[in-house]
Amino acid sequence: MTASPTVADTIGTDAVYVYCVAHSRAHWLLGPIGLDRNMVYTVPHEGLCCVVHSCKAKPYQSDDPQAVEGWVVAHQRVVKTAMEAFDAALPMAFNMIVHDGPNGSAIHSLKGWLAEKRDDFSARLEELAGKAEYGVQVFWDRQAVIEALTERQPELRDLRDEARAKPKGQAYMLRQRLAKAARAAIESQANQYVEAFYSQIGQCVAKARVERLKRVNSGKQMLLNLSCLMKKDNTALGRALEKIREIDGISVRFTGPWPPYSFVSAA
Amino acid sequence: MTMEPETPQWRDRATLVDLLDRVLDRGIFLRADVVISLAGIPLIGVTLSVAIAGTETMLKYGILTDIDQEIRALPPRRGQVQRRRRPAAGRGTGKVKVATAA
Repeated sequence: MTASPTVADTIGTDAVYVYCVAHSRAHWLLGPIGLDRNMVYTVPHEGLCCVVHSCKAKPYQSDDPQAVEGWVVAHQRVVKTAMEAFDAALPMAFNMIVHDGPNGSAIHSLKGWLAEKRDDFSARLEELAGKAEYGVQVFWDRQAVIEALTERQPELRDLRDEARAKPKGQAYMLRQRLAKAARAAIESQANQYVEAFYSQIGQCVAKARVERLKRVNSGKQMLLNLSCLMKKDNTALGRALEKIREIDGISVRFTGPWPPYSFVSAA
Repeated sequence: MTMEPETPQWRDRATLVDLLDRVLDRGIFLRADVVISLAGIPLIGVTLSVAIAGTETMLKYGILTDIDQEIRALPPRRGQVQRRRRPAAGRGTGKVKVATAA
């Protein structure tokens, strides 16, 4: 509903916490969905708006992981709501807080910032309309792949079979050679997969950003970690991933839709 | 057949890690130094640094997987047994159980 925050929502506050930027001309009230259930509302200025809640001028920080988790989830919930309500939103990073200053109130500063960024943000929002971010992570069962390669490649298979047939001392030497050759083979296989998958996925989406690989607790190893930007009704990526995950030893994690955090740079 | 994306569920730890990556590290940053100098907008733009979130959070969310948890002394809690690993003083490390003062 179009409305403004009440005095109760803003009393004792000297700052605003900024969640995202969107196209809108109206004063909207999004409800008490913000961090610590604060009332979330929009600050419009010349076609753009910031989605905010009023707060004290200090960052949200805590030693309690549950508190942090709650805030981060609330931040995401607000950005997601805005993205759905306004068709596109430019998410802010966590803890972007603008405070009252000598030259004017926080709201005044925010409007100035929107005015300064208007063309840039407008263009980006247009580009993002109807799109969302999706996470794609490809894993493999490294051990299973080594065994499969050893079975398939004559050089490796022969070493393995020879080692089984020989007495301890010689077997040990052969196994060392096998391990070295297997390492080279698996490196090569990893590179082939990464290049192929990146290319196949890249063809399906508007943008693909390479992210850092993460260590995984299970027996799997992460091969590829991508953030992808694409239209929400795009099915090409899903089809490509289905093919990829059919490969022996390969598994895929596909998450989304996310607001496009990874596709808005520092402003 | 098409693979469908999983909508982020917060009960799933892996998805929380995905969220933390995005929210802490990406999104638009209002850089205090840059913006102040360019537009004179007064700001606090403090990202939630991992140090503020606490090491337990980092370990839980897999942000730090290299740190040996035992080397870092966990703050003792009242009434709980505190296990501390002695730094290597010759023969490996022994685990020492010490009851905290209530």
